[in-house]
Amino acid sequence: MDELEVLRIRDEVLQAMYWMRAEGIAETPTSDELSRFLAITPVTLATYLDRYIEDGLLECAGGFYKLSPSGEESGKRTFADEMADMTKSPHGECAADCQFCQGSPEAAADCMSSCARS
Amino acid sequence: MAAITAESAPGVLPKNFLRPCLLLLLREQPAHGYELLERLRPLGFERSDPGRLYRALRALEAEGLVRSAWESSDNGPDRRIYELTKAGNLALYDAAQSLVTTHTILDVFLSRYSEFVAIGQERRPAPEPR
Repeated sequence: MDELEVLRIRDEVLQAMYWMRAEGIAETPTSDELSRFLAITPVTLATYLDRYIEDGLLECAGGFYKLSPSGEESGKRTFADEMADMTKSPHGECAADCQFCQGSPEAAADCMSSCARS
Repeated sequence: MAAITAESAPGVLPKNFLRPCLLLLLREQPAHGYELLERLRPLGFERSDPGRLYRALRALEAEGLVRSAWESSDNGPDRRIYELTKAGNLALYDAAQSLVTTHTILDVFLSRYSEFVAIGQERRPAPEPR
């Protein structure tokens, strides 16, 4: 098993399971449900799920998968990390009352640098 | 968990119709995933596919058309709330323009076909005799 793929799919699985749980869609999905949700074939996914159970990120009872506390924390954190660059407001997408953009050119430059830091 | 998508619904929706629909819903107001599933129904997504919604939102976010943030919940895990970006607003406008073109073409088709058959009748017409 390619370790890079293990890591990549781990993030996909944990993030998706966190999202499903938070939205009330499925607290403990089956592997078939996860496979449909992620559009990964069940056979491929099953190997990875076993690995994540070994790693303590998932728990499985009666064919239903659940995030362990560390899996839940990891799912939430990596979801935010992955989209961090996308979720920051870039310069120019500030609100109409932005004190920097609506001020002087110098202030707008400050806004650009503060957006880059946020 | 239902897995039937809009394409298998009785009315055929345009390909990738989910994307402009999501942009429209988020133009109306920021929303959580589950709420979006509910609000997609009147747009023809009668039996929702949460996985498809999830992947579409992720793709829209990766393209910078949508952004999301954690929102605390008193009675459960934090949820992502999604909102439209300026780029998403522009993409929505482009999609709507494209749909106007499609609508015009469909009107021409239906108008010409209705010269033979009253559209919307319950029974299919009998085949023309040879």
